Amino acid sequence: MILLDRVTKTYGKTMKPALNRISLHVEPKEFVILVGTSGAGKSTLLKLLTREEKPTSGKIVVGGIDYDSLKDRHIPLLRRKVGVVFQDFKLLPQRTVYENIAFALEIAGMTSREIKSTVPKVIELVGLAGKEKSFPNQLSGGERQRVAIARAVVRQPKILIADEPTGNLDPKHSWDIIKLLEKINRYGTTVILTTHNVDIVNKLKRRVVTLDGGKITSDQSQGSYRQ
Amino acid sequence: MAKKIDAKSFAAQKRKRRQWLTFVRMVRYGVNNFSRNAWLTVAATAVMTITLLIVFMTLAARSTLETTVADIRSKVDISIYVKNDIEESDVAAITEDLQKLDSVRNINYVSPEEARGDFAKKNSNDAGALNALNEATNKFPGIIRVNLVDINETGELDTFVKNNENYNAAKDPDREPSFAGERRTAIQNIGRWVDFADRAGLGASIVFVIISSLIVFNTIRMAIFNRKEEIQMMKLIGADRSFIRGPFIVEAVVYGFIAAVLATGLGLLALYSAQDSLLSYQVAIGPTLDFIFKYLGFILLGMIGVGATIGVISSLFATHKYLKI
Repeated sequence: MILLDRVTKTYGKTMKPALNRISLHVEPKEFVILVGTSGAGKSTLLKLLTREEKPTSGKIVVGGIDYDSLKDRHIPLLRRKVGVVFQDFKLLPQRTVYENIAFALEIAGMTSREIKSTVPKVIELVGLAGKEKSFPNQLSGGERQRVAIARAVVRQPKILIADEPTGNLDPKHSWDIIKLLEKINRYGTTVILTTHNVDIVNKLKRRVVTLDGGKITSDQSQGSYRQ
Repeated sequence: MAKKIDAKSFAAQKRKRRQWLTFVRMVRYGVNNFSRNAWLTVAATAVMTITLLIVFMTLAARSTLETTVADIRSKVDISIYVKNDIEESDVAAITEDLQKLDSVRNINYVSPEEARGDFAKKNSNDAGALNALNEATNKFPGIIRVNLVDINETGELDTFVKNNENYNAAKDPDREPSFAGERRTAIQNIGRWVDFADRAGLGASIVFVIISSLIVFNTIRMAIFNRKEEIQMMKLIGADRSFIRGPFIVEAVVYGFIAAVLATGLGLLALYSAQDSLLSYQVAIGPTLDFIFKYLGFILLGMIGVGATIGVISSLFATHKYLKI
């Protein structure tokens, strides 16, 4: 599903590479946790996957799309296939819960009828029924993150990237979000999660990939993490 | 084969429907943004209204200036004096010669009797002046009043008074033509002033319009800067550039539309209420107002066009920066 082959990313010519010849293979339907201290290269790796950045060298293939041959005008199409959830939610502040989620479908050109039948199901899935008309500033952090997840999965992407989704949440809400990600993974979506939360990593017992100084230092199935 | 064409046209139909759907959504988002960002909306519309009001007033002022200038030009005439006992046929001959000159716009002849009558009327309360009329030596000359196309161009007329035989035979020996004597400088000064006013007006209009467009550009840029994260986020979840820009453009058109209507209304109100006080300064805005009312539809459309264009260009520039990822 995701293949990185000797990928290097350097910012500026004299800087130390943010990622140094990284190779990683993620199978379909896998749940992978990326861990590492700040500056280890997690964010850079995710930015490469969503094509916010281009690698300095190496090969990236996501969902069968080879990034070398990906034209700029096709980037929106790629991003519609990869759902992304951010630590700071990145919701549209002027739009309601329903509109935020529907937006992801509208940009893909889906008809109003399709949108009307899909959005309520996803709202139900993330447990936000009854909040459709609320604006983001009327919701708690946990609820906002649910909206962000709903927006990311409403197009049924094959891959969901969650970049520190619990970073701004208290433990209870963090676990709710993690359970939701597990549920989405059970439905068949590959999930890439980055987190600093040791408790979450150790209780999940999933594949853990540790980054340090731009290199992968360990890759364990049912792994654990110590800060 | 037939099946293949059907599939093609079906796909084209689907694509068209999708484009239409996207367009409708962009318009809806634009209108939503407009109504939900109350503060920004009020600020941007207000600045745009002021800009358009400046454009409107500048154009109105230019039009008024032009009418006033034209009015002054037509009022300034040059007098050529002829003998008191001149024959009508001689006057006709001189007038005919004058009319051949390119620099002459029109000619009026005031006969000695009319001049005398005018003088008597003007000085009806002045016994001394009326008495003077009865003195045999105080004879009125005939006056040929000449309006020039451009009051600064007296050269042709100069040559005429020097060389024209008909005139030289009939000229009043005691009075030089007005442009040749003391009044010459006065007439030339008026000419220069009118030219200056015309040019300064044009310069000021251009400067005003440029400055106010820059202010609108900056306001819209700030409004969009406020939403840069929103734009970047839309990009990250896979929205096309056009889909992101569309609502901003629609929003700018809405600003432009409302501002144009407000500015035209306010401008008309201002002109209308200033009409009387301006008249006391000899500035007639009647013709300008008539013109505006006659073409109100076109003017309104033009204002909407200007407002929307400034808004759309500003939006395109401002969003460009955030659409790079």
